Amino acid sequence: MLRGAEIVLRCLRAEGVELAFGYPGGAIMPLYDALPDSGIRHVLTRHEQGAVFAAEGYARATGKVGVAIATSGPGATNLVTGIADAKMDSVPLLCITGQVRSAMIGSDAFQETDVFGLTLALTKWSRLVRSIEELPAVIAEAFHWARSGRPGPVVIDIPTDVLKAKMDFAGPVKFQPHPKPADIHGVTTFTETLIPLLENAKRPVALLGAGVKLAGAVEDLRELLAYLQIPTFATVHGLGAAPQDAAYYLGMVGMHGTRAANLALHETDLLLVFGARLDDRVTGDPSRFAPHARIAHFEIDPSQLDRVRACDLPVIGDLAETIPAFDSAVRRISLPDWTQWRGVACGADRAEPDARGLASPTIRFLDELFRHLPEDSVIVADVGQHQMWAAQRYRSSSPRGFVTSGGLGAMGFALPAAIGVQLAKPNATVVCVSGDGGFQINIQELATVKRLRLPVKMVIIDNKYLGMVRQWQELFYARNYSETDLSDNPDFVEVARAYRIYGDHLDEDAMREAPVNKAVSAMLQRFLGSPEPELLVFDCHPEANVYPMVPAGAALSEMIFEQE
Amino acid sequence: MQAFHIQYRNTQGTLMRILNAASRRGLDMPYVQATPMDHEHGVTLLLDVSPKQTGQLCRDWHAIVDVTKVRAGVPFTVATHAAHEWTTPHLPASVRVASNTAARTASA
Repeated sequence: MLRGAEIVLRCLRAEGVELAFGYPGGAIMPLYDALPDSGIRHVLTRHEQGAVFAAEGYARATGKVGVAIATSGPGATNLVTGIADAKMDSVPLLCITGQVRSAMIGSDAFQETDVFGLTLALTKWSRLVRSIEELPAVIAEAFHWARSGRPGPVVIDIPTDVLKAKMDFAGPVKFQPHPKPADIHGVTTFTETLIPLLENAKRPVALLGAGVKLAGAVEDLRELLAYLQIPTFATVHGLGAAPQDAAYYLGMVGMHGTRAANLALHETDLLLVFGARLDDRVTGDPSRFAPHARIAHFEIDPSQLDRVRACDLPVIGDLAETIPAFDSAVRRISLPDWTQWRGVACGADRAEPDARGLASPTIRFLDELFRHLPEDSVIVADVGQHQMWAAQRYRSSSPRGFVTSGGLGAMGFALPAAIGVQLAKPNATVVCVSGDGGFQINIQELATVKRLRLPVKMVIIDNKYLGMVRQWQELFYARNYSETDLSDNPDFVEVARAYRIYGDHLDEDAMREAPVNKAVSAMLQRFLGSPEPELLVFDCHPEANVYPMVPAGAALSEMIFEQE
Repeated sequence: MQAFHIQYRNTQGTLMRILNAASRRGLDMPYVQATPMDHEHGVTLLLDVSPKQTGQLCRDWHAIVDVTKVRAGVPFTVATHAAHEWTTPHLPASVRVASNTAARTASA
């Protein structure tokens, strides 16, 4: 006879779970009671949001299902932002929440919330467990849906009496999904339509999103791109999918994308989209997005089609199947000569200008920092100006090397997510790049970093503002800096010291001139090579802005740039 | 008004997920009827939607784990029984590319 809690943990182990993040409390106590003997390592964060973001970081770094555990009521509600984040960014995530006793459900008992109802709109699948007998099947099904198709978050809400109950346990079970008509597609005949479009295209381009990585199709895609040699760019989650040094690769596209990428996207007559949602941060004004183009959209999730901009040819299916099928078809034809188009789109006159203006020291700092990183390093960016600067300057070809909250844009993501990434990749250099606003949202996770002695390198780009909001206030709200001033920030180095973590400041004056001073360069190398967690606060100009920028509602061709 | 007929396995929350696809878009639901159908359940909704929303809704419903069939009928006042069944995810109304379109591009 095993308790429900023990059955849960055995089923998790059977699904390959080695690590879980969480925060205990009343209703989930039976699970924590069984945890020490389970073979699952548990990481205690200092807030449930820290736990769910750490689980996301682990999942994003590995492709495995991240597991977060919380108690009922406030513990569960604190998971909600992470669940929404995982939904938007297609992250496989399992959240296990304790619930009040079955008999008390619906009575507004102490620490009772309707977690099932609360998360319905944010999850791919969820269950409120009603009996101990359901547990093995529920857990198997949860993992299936978290991993399959377009990955996403699932929630299992377990009343405390179910965790305490006992039954004979025959072992974990396998889940067999009911087939859906949509699942029975295989590789269809899309190539018959797409090949003529490609043969007749004069200005084809490729746009890469996270779906390429999630499908495990990066190598297939790189082979295809190497053959096509068409101008290629990526969303923030698609960074690292293409070889960054390829002559045809133009960097990030969208609101803060490169000039070359946005112009090529505006001018193309055939847009091949691989695993990207085409959200509004990528398209700008949808009515003027790729206005001359036919769009072929490779996507596993049909619900993502036609949300913002209509596509002409949906290619629905697993990219690990559709990309090779397209590649095979492409190699049977004679490709048009796109040399002239490539010369225009990838020409030197469209290259990014050298860093200039108030942001130039920060950009130079990030360039210098990233220059010293080993290839398998992971940048974990928070949300805001620093996120876009980091994405713009990211130069690695590591597919899972840039982790950020892209769709939801959840400030406070980076520090706990970096914990998850570092645990997933203990030998990798993990750099958490945050702003002074976002860092304070989950600053308590410094305690987790210290407790585990994780060698996470934490960088705060400190402009003493909620910088991206301030930038919009400057540009679109007549400089009315309403409630974005953070000039009374704490001294982050002193805060780190309180957690017994070493910290240091670097003023932007050290980055005014290129090449970077050798002493500063050596300091950054030492920082990155330290076996301990460290914090580096980079003091950035308060009014530095991120450019290029496509204003909201504008076309991608209507970028604005830093003025001299 | 457009009628929609969605067939689903009556698992926890599936009906709520179906309704949520409409409510998250701020759509009024003047008519909702959920009933057992054969071995499954079905829900009929009447919604005032644009053609683009019709496609989006049908694809959203199809993405719900336990939804098995999605049908959109002709406008309710005409004939709900003349519903068209989609056995695969409903493609965007904008899908116009066919071999003849490709050929037209070729000649352009």
